[in-house]
Formats: sequence, structure tokens, C-alpha cells
Amino acid sequence: MKDAEKQLGLLGQYEVECVIVGGVAATLHGSSLTTRDLDVCYSRSPPNLIRIADALRSVKARLRGAPEGLPFVLDQETLRRRLNFTFQTDIGHVDLLGEMAGVGGYGEALEDADVMELFGFQFEVLSLPKLIAAKRAAGRTKDLLVIPELEAIYEFQTRGKSERS
Amino acid sequence: MESNPREELLLNPKPGTAAAAARDFGIDLTLTVQNLRLKPEERIRRLDDFVDGIKQIQANLRWLKKSTTNTKTIRS
Repeated sequence: MKDAEKQLGLLGQYEVECVIVGGVAATLHGSSLTTRDLDVCYSRSPPNLIRIADALRSVKARLRGAPEGLPFVLDQETLRRRLNFTFQTDIGHVDLLGEMAGVGGYGEALEDADVMELFGFQFEVLSLPKLIAAKRAAGRTKDLLVIPELEAIYEFQTRGKSERS
Repeated sequence: MESNPREELLLNPKPGTAAAAARDFGIDLTLTVQNLRLKPEERIRRLDDFVDGIKQIQANLRWLKKSTTNTKTIRS
């Protein structure tokens, strides 16, 4: 089992309420571009924060880029105080987004998310239109590069549907 | 690559479409079509395989750099 599979398995096992966003969402929609981290937009409900903290502690999550030895307690209270986190874990990079530019928070991400069955769990995946909006709003070169392919995939999906019906 | 009629939307896009724009931007849409043929879970496995390959290359480069440095130290 490899990183993304383990990361998704972890979220499924701990029943974390989240929407898969970012590069992994792009891959799930069919993009050929690659990513090394799993980004999720997460529910900030107290029970979910507890589940996230439990899940991440189980894979020794620490803040990515923080100095070695920097005190950091991974619990519900820490997660409640901030929105976005970037973690290095024993199973790769996992990033938590409380809000996303161009989309909003978990509620907005969830609205028209696609449900996908992955490794025995059901996941919500950010819809293609919102993924494109998020990439556009993020505006970094690496985000902008993926937009033409995502737009082509969206066109392929929507035209295909209209041609079949 | 044998394509079905629907995949022609991506493989031979009509002018003015998003697929044509992506192709002109430099995206290899044959790779996209290959990915779209997979199930989502298979797409993740493929991503994992690719990332593993990159990690392996990086590890080999680190090893090579280290062994080159050691050789220089022994020689000097």
C-alpha cells in the first residue's frame, strides 16, 4: 500500500468528514498531472476535529517546515484555533484546509461534491467546476497549469452526458 | 491507442473547444484519455506508483552524490 492509498484509508478508518480537494481531486477526475500531497477541506465540527486529531496522531503528524523540536500539540483545541494546516506524517503529506479561495468552507465544498468509492470507503470529491474555480483563485503557477486539462475533462464529461441523453 | 467515438472529443478536438485549448497549451490529452479509462481507485494507484518512482530516483541521486563525495575524500 502506498502513500495516497494509506492516507485515504486513514481518513476513511477514522470517519473524518472532509472533501478531497487539490491535486488528488484532479487525479480522481482524470487529470494526468501529479501531486505528492493529499489536500482535504474538512468539517470543523467538534467531533470531527477530535477524529482528525486522533487520525493524524496515529501517523505521527508534525507541522511541515516547522523547526525540529518545536512544541506542537495535535488536538481538537489546536485545530479549532486555526483554519489551515500542512502536515508531514509517516504516510506522506496531508494538508487540512478549513477554507479555500474560490470555494469557501466545508459546506460549500460538499454542496455538489462527487461521491467516489475508494479502498472500501466512500469519499466526497470536490466537483470539477469548483476545483477549477479553486485552482484559478489560488493563482499559483502550479495551479494555473492544471486548469486547461481540467476544463477539457469537464467539457468531455458534460458533452458526453448531453450526447448520451 | 484505440479510441471510442466519445474520446475523439479529446483526441481530435474541434477548434474553439476546451480540449483544443488544452492541447494547444501543451497538455498531452492521450494521457488524460488513458486516465479517464481507469476507475478512480486505479487513478490513485497510478499516482502512487508515479510518486514512488520519483522517490526512488531521488534516493538514487542522494546515494550517488554521497558515494561521489566519499570517493573524492578517499582520493584526496
